[in-house]
Amino acid sequence: MSELEKLRVVIGYEFLKHLRRRRLYVVLGLTLVTELAVLIGLPALMDGYPDSVMVMAAMLTVGPSLATIGAVFFAGDAIAGEFESKTGYILFTNPVRRITLVIGKYLACLAAVILLIIFGYIILSISLWGIYGNVPIETAESFGLCLLFAGSVLSVTFLFSSVSKGAMGATVMTLLFIMVISGVIDSVLMMAGKPHWFLLSTNGDSIATVYGGYELFLGLAGDLPHGMDIPPGILKAPDINLMIISMVIYLAVGFLLSILISSRRQLT
Amino acid sequence: MRQALVIENLSKYYNKFLAVDNLCLGVGENENVGLLGPNGAGKSTTLKILCGLIRASSGAAYIDGINIAAKPEQALSRIGAIVETPEFYPFLTPEETLSYLGRLRGMRGEWLRSRIKEVINLVRLEDWLKVRIEKFSRGMKQRLAVAQALLHDPPILILDEPGLGLDPRGVVEFREIIAGVGKEKTVLFASHQLVEVAQICNQVAIIDHGKLLAYDTIAELEKKYQSLERAYLELTGVSFE
Repeated sequence: MSELEKLRVVIGYEFLKHLRRRRLYVVLGLTLVTELAVLIGLPALMDGYPDSVMVMAAMLTVGPSLATIGAVFFAGDAIAGEFESKTGYILFTNPVRRITLVIGKYLACLAAVILLIIFGYIILSISLWGIYGNVPIETAESFGLCLLFAGSVLSVTFLFSSVSKGAMGATVMTLLFIMVISGVIDSVLMMAGKPHWFLLSTNGDSIATVYGGYELFLGLAGDLPHGMDIPPGILKAPDINLMIISMVIYLAVGFLLSILISSRRQLT
Repeated sequence: MRQALVIENLSKYYNKFLAVDNLCLGVGENENVGLLGPNGAGKSTTLKILCGLIRASSGAAYIDGINIAAKPEQALSRIGAIVETPEFYPFLTPEETLSYLGRLRGMRGEWLRSRIKEVINLVRLEDWLKVRIEKFSRGMKQRLAVAQALLHDPPILILDEPGLGLDPRGVVEFREIIAGVGKEKTVLFASHQLVEVAQICNQVAIIDHGKLLAYDTIAELEKKYQSLERAYLELTGVSFE
C-alpha cells in the first residue's frame, strides 16, 4: 500500500473526526452570528448601510476571518492530542510514516476550515447582492487571501501543537502569538510608520484591506476628534504581494517544522 | 529456531536516568514470552522501542529480522500491539476506528468487514459496534485495544499490561483469547501478574533496573526456585534467608 493511499485514508478519517466534533459547529455558529451582527448592527447604529459596497464587503469579511482564527481551536490538538490523550499509542504503532499522518491531519483541518470560510463568503455574497445588487470582484481575491491566511494560521498552530505537551497549550500559544505578540508589534510598527507586512496579524487584515486599504474604515468611523491627527502613511495598507509572500513563508516554514518535530517526537 | 524478536544490547536513557541497560533478548517464532519486572524495571520502555514509539539510546531491536529504527513501517506491519492504557478517538465508533486502522494496514472490502466482525465478537463488543467510544468504560476500551491488535492477524503480538482496567471476568476472557491466538503467534507479554503470565506464556524474562536477570522456561525457573513467584521475588531483590 503506497503512502499516498494511506494519506487518503488519514485525511478521510481525520475529516470525519472534525465533522463529529462540536467545536466545528460552534465556530460555524460564531461565523453566522458575527455576520448577522454586522448586517443588523451596522444599519441600526449608523442610519443605514454604508454607501459603498466595498466598505460593507470589507466589514463582512469579519465572519470568515473569525472562522480562520476559530480553526485554531480544532487544529491545536491535532498533534499534541495524540501524545496528551494517548491515542498515539494506537495510531503510531501502525505502519504509517509520521509525515503522512501530519500531512493528512493538516489537510483534513484545512478542509474543515475551508468549509467554514466558504460558509462565511456565501453569507457575505448573498448579503451584498441583497443590499447593493452586486458583489465586487475583489471578493474573489479576498476569498483567496482568506484561504492562504487559513493555511498559514493552521501551519503555525501545527507547529505549536508539535512542540506542546497539551492541546490547550498549543491553542493558547497560537492565539497569543497571532492576536497578542504579532498584534502588538503590528500596532507599534504601524503607528511608527514602519513596514509590518511580515506579521501574521497584518496578513490577516489583507482579507479586508483588499477592498481598498485601511482608509475604507475611516469614513465609517466619522471625523476624528479635534486635535487628533493620523500620521501620514499610516492608512496605507502593506503591499498585497508582500503579504502573500509572508503568508506563504508562515505556511511553509510552520508546516515543515511541524513535520520535522512530530517525526522526531517520542511517545514516552 | 528462527527468532521473531531480537533485542541486541539495547539501552535507553531518559535524560540521565538509565531505563534499559544493555538488554539482550531473543524470542523465537511462535513462542509466548512473559516480560516480568517491578515498576520502573524497563518493561514498557523496551516494548515502546519495539513498537517504534521511542528511540533506543544505543543497541538495536529487530522484528522478523527488520531493524525497527531503520525500517519502522516494514517492521510495524508484522506486529499487533497494546502499549500502556491506550485511548481511542471518542467521536468515532469501534467499527470506524477498526476500519481506519485496518485501512492504514492495507485491509479492504469484505476482508476488512469480516475481520472487524470476528475481532469484535472475540472481545464481546458486538452490541457496541456502532456506539461512539466516548461512552465506553476503561474495560471496554481495553477490549477494543485487544481487537485492534488482532485485527490484521499479525504474526507477532506485543502486549504491555493488556489486562489493565478489565473486570475479573474480562481478565479471564482476555487470557483465553491470548492463550488461544498465541498458539500460532509470537507473543511478548509484559505484566505484573505472575498468574496471568504463567497461563499465557511458557517462558519468562525477568528484568529489573533495565537489566535482564533471568530468561528461561517457567518449568525450569520453578525447578530452580520452587515457584515462579519465588523466582521473581528472589531475582528482584527479596531475600528468603
